[in-house]
Amino acid sequence: MNTARSSRSELWLGRIVLLMLVLFTLLPFVGMLSAALQPAGSNPTGIQVPTNPAWGNFITAFEMSKLPTLMTSSLILVLMVVPAGLVLATAAAYGIVVLRVPFGGVAFVVLLLGLTIPFESLIVPLYHLMKDAGLLNTRLAIAMPLVALYLPFGVFWMRAHFQGVPKEITEAAEMDGAGWWRGLWHVHIPLARPALTTLIVLYSLWTWNQFIIALVMMDEPLMRTVAGALGAFQGQYGTDIVLLSAGALLIMLPTITVFAVFQKQFVVALLQGSVKG
Amino acid sequence: MTQLDQTVAGAQGARPAAGGGRRTTRRGGERRGPWAAWIFVLPALAVYSFFTLQSLAKSVQYSFYSWNGIGEARWVGLANYAEVFSDPRRVTALANAFKLIFFYSFLSIALGLIAATLIRGLNSRWSRASQTLLFLPQVVPLVGAGIAWTWLYSSDGAVNQILRAIGLGGVARAWLADFTFALPAIGIVGTWVLIGLCTMLLSAGMTKIDPSLYDAARVDGAGPIREFFAVTLPGVRGELTVCLTVTLIAALANFDVVYTMTLGGPGGSTMVPGVDIYQLAFNQARVGAASAMGVVLMVLVLALVLPLQRIMRERP
Amino acid sequence: MRITTRRSAAMLMAGTAAVALTLAACSPPGSSSPSTSSSSSSSAPAGEEPAPGVSTELSADPVELDLYLESGFTDQFDALLAEFTAQHPQVTFKIRSDSFQNLAQNAVRIMSSPDAPDLMRFPTVQAAAKDGILLNLDEYAEAYGWNDWPQGTLNQVRIDETGARGSGSLYALGVGYNVTGVYYNKAKAEELGIEIPVETIADLEAAMDTALAAGETPIMLGNADFTYAFPLQMIQNQLEGLDQVKDWIYQKDGATYDLPSSVEAAAKLQQWAEKGYFPADVNAIDYATAIGSFTSGEGVFHFSGDWEAGGLTMNAPGEFGFFPFPGLTADAPKVAMAAPATYVVPTNAKNKDAIAYFLNWVHTDAKARQIVLEYTGSTPGGPAELDPPVAPEGSVINETLAAAAQVADDDGAIDFLGNATAGILTSTLGPDLQLLITGRMTPEDFAAHIQQAYETELGR
Repeated sequence: MNTARSSRSELWLGRIVLLMLVLFTLLPFVGMLSAALQPAGSNPTGIQVPTNPAWGNFITAFEMSKLPTLMTSSLILVLMVVPAGLVLATAAAYGIVVLRVPFGGVAFVVLLLGLTIPFESLIVPLYHLMKDAGLLNTRLAIAMPLVALYLPFGVFWMRAHFQGVPKEITEAAEMDGAGWWRGLWHVHIPLARPALTTLIVLYSLWTWNQFIIALVMMDEPLMRTVAGALGAFQGQYGTDIVLLSAGALLIMLPTITVFAVFQKQFVVALLQGSVKG
Repeated sequence: MTQLDQTVAGAQGARPAAGGGRRTTRRGGERRGPWAAWIFVLPALAVYSFFTLQSLAKSVQYSFYSWNGIGEARWVGLANYAEVFSDPRRVTALANAFKLIFFYSFLSIALGLIAATLIRGLNSRWSRASQTLLFLPQVVPLVGAGIAWTWLYSSDGAVNQILRAIGLGGVARAWLADFTFALPAIGIVGTWVLIGLCTMLLSAGMTKIDPSLYDAARVDGAGPIREFFAVTLPGVRGELTVCLTVTLIAALANFDVVYTMTLGGPGGSTMVPGVDIYQLAFNQARVGAASAMGVVLMVLVLALVLPLQRIMRERP
Repeated sequence: MRITTRRSAAMLMAGTAAVALTLAACSPPGSSSPSTSSSSSSSAPAGEEPAPGVSTELSADPVELDLYLESGFTDQFDALLAEFTAQHPQVTFKIRSDSFQNLAQNAVRIMSSPDAPDLMRFPTVQAAAKDGILLNLDEYAEAYGWNDWPQGTLNQVRIDETGARGSGSLYALGVGYNVTGVYYNKAKAEELGIEIPVETIADLEAAMDTALAAGETPIMLGNADFTYAFPLQMIQNQLEGLDQVKDWIYQKDGATYDLPSSVEAAAKLQQWAEKGYFPADVNAIDYATAIGSFTSGEGVFHFSGDWEAGGLTMNAPGEFGFFPFPGLTADAPKVAMAAPATYVVPTNAKNKDAIAYFLNWVHTDAKARQIVLEYTGSTPGGPAELDPPVAPEGSVINETLAAAAQVADDDGAIDFLGNATAGILTSTLGPDLQLLITGRMTPEDFAAHIQQAYETELGR
């Protein structure tokens, strides 16, 4: 679309359409905010501008949802999943791309297939696997499958990165006498910082928002992820829309904040892939 | 949505192989590296095999039995699969997954195309900000989206409020309890979640279109619509493929949204394979049937996604 | 796409097929018998080895008992446990809780884990008992004399050698024994001139017509979470063929739900829907919203159980009354869903003697019985000779107690249809009810479809 050529009315039409899409996107958030600010225990009808915004509802929700515990639990899970996932994926991609292991292509294809397997298809055997290992209701039961399930993308992502690194760098490192480990650690990792950062952000986000695995592996809602606990929160306070909205907003706030801070990273991450082509 | 995002960026990154002109070639003539380097790859492969591949295989195994998860399992051969394709509840779940593709894929992509075109065309700070805003639903947990939309759709919710305000009050109802409209209602939530993603991807793709192509089209006398179909659309084929793949998987693997909003109701009209698997396995204690459904779901995803990739790649 | 070489793809598929076939040929999943010695196929739960030396003494050693309860119903336990610890200081408690829905989904997993609690709220004991997850309580029953108590509701948690319920070994006890019936809004009933108690179904329908004519919602009840199974069964309870329904609920061999009474009850429920007795958007209203609305004064009748009586007394004292669901004639015996609020002891429980002692105490200690009544509104069960606890004057709990007594006298206790199998309510009975009351399913199809689902789930 060439703005120089479009008439003013076309421009305005465009702006209006875009505005409608944005409003559509924001509607649920506005709705929840409106409901959260109504008087506690009331039954709000539709979106209303609260005459007396009951900010106290957020405090109540904060206490009742045990948000600090939830966030700590999610954080622990993120710490369990992300470093492990990062190390495994980077090492594998390094081996496949930079070190060019024999049959690395096969390994890669095997991993790739995992990208299309829906989690629900694996949840039952995973559950029984954890049960037989006696790990049900431990965080390990959530973390370990997640590491495995995130690997396909992680290897993929790091492979794409390593492929973009000029061979000359690797060759130069070899000539300097760097072994594989030194080459990885001192040469490639610093170069991979942007890709790694993106991976960290994505892995963390996915873990934070993970629902079904947390739901199945952990009975205690407070030891699940934030998303997993949100389900329990809904079950408990389902009829109290005001409280539920306040709680849900609080629970979603961290991810929204991270996004606001890291939005460049998100955008760059997704665009990198297409720019590389 | 974790899976969704995975596949997005994953499928995206895959495109380098599809395109041409890469700096480091991988095929033919490259000397193979040392076997010892497998030490880098083995850990990932081991973890992946142990959890993912083993679960895959076990899922297939379970699907041939009738098992309640605790006691003894009884071999039933293909009976579970027969049920997946004949029992109305299973069939409805699969059918619903396909129906959701309209909302998750086509609608999201259509609106994404429109949004991306507008954003690039308007090229203002505001339009770029709206791109970020549109992406917001991708970031919140789907469960949160489900909760928010459940309230919006309730009899007293904002959707009915808006309908009444524009004079369509007669249409107002409890959307999630309506046999006809509950599924579309859920579909719209999917569209809501995915518009931002598609917009972002397609917008990025549009950046790469050679402006001279637009000039050429203009010389030929094409208006904005023709421009769009002749230049823009073909130019984002790669991104379209990614979008389609990702949204397809999201539609078929739907769990969080339906679980939070309707649990398959009313009367099973919004049942989807993900929730069906969960209920069969953990509610009705029918692990074999759940596994068969899981395997069928997997096969369906592959059956849709693989040909799609090939089709979109083959065109010049 | 990602399969960049066809050879890789072929190798991959061959590999997967090989693995899958190998695993398929492997030993089947699941154990043939978990911790106890119960034989697997013929489901003879009585074959379990009794614990060595069941004791009715409470040890003086400090012990922490682990309870897993239903959230929203923990108040009664807070009071009970405080009282028990006051009487027996060496015993402390740890409580975990979850919603009924999650419990129904997760209880089996929780109980078969090594972390199993000592006591678990668990509504459908049959399959779990068959699989040996639940402790056979017969020895404790012998020791404490539980078999001498009125058995009308306890029979529901007995399982015989064929695996059917209704008689045999005891697998659970109740903390409070519920009865169901009809709550009514006193003020509205008086305004509309409705005679209480309503004596016959025909009278009830007439009353609802009157309410409808006056612009009231006759029945304030929601079906989003399938609560219409209550009125369905309440109607069916009054029709011929009750024993067959019981057999079906108890999973006796050859039992069926495809009965004339099922079709008749479904037809009548559908008729009520057509007449407009139910709230608009009934399938969108969930249980909590319905009772909330009823308590705030909406609707004339509400079909539920005595577990609501406590809340009603607290939130709206004196405004509501209760009577058992009427029969076809005024002198028909009182038949009602009456079941224990079931609690089981997992086989993996670590403190069996102590928890059995606690259970016995709940049924026999005067203070405990009073607490159970006050918090749950249900009868505490236990020996018939013990004085029944009393509720404060004017409380609707007195009416539910009276109704429970009537049902016990008429031997009219029956379990809930939804308890027939672990999944029947959420998989079929519930969704089909949603279709039935919106005219999308015929009563005949309703009965047949439920039977079909029953057979599929039980593998018959």
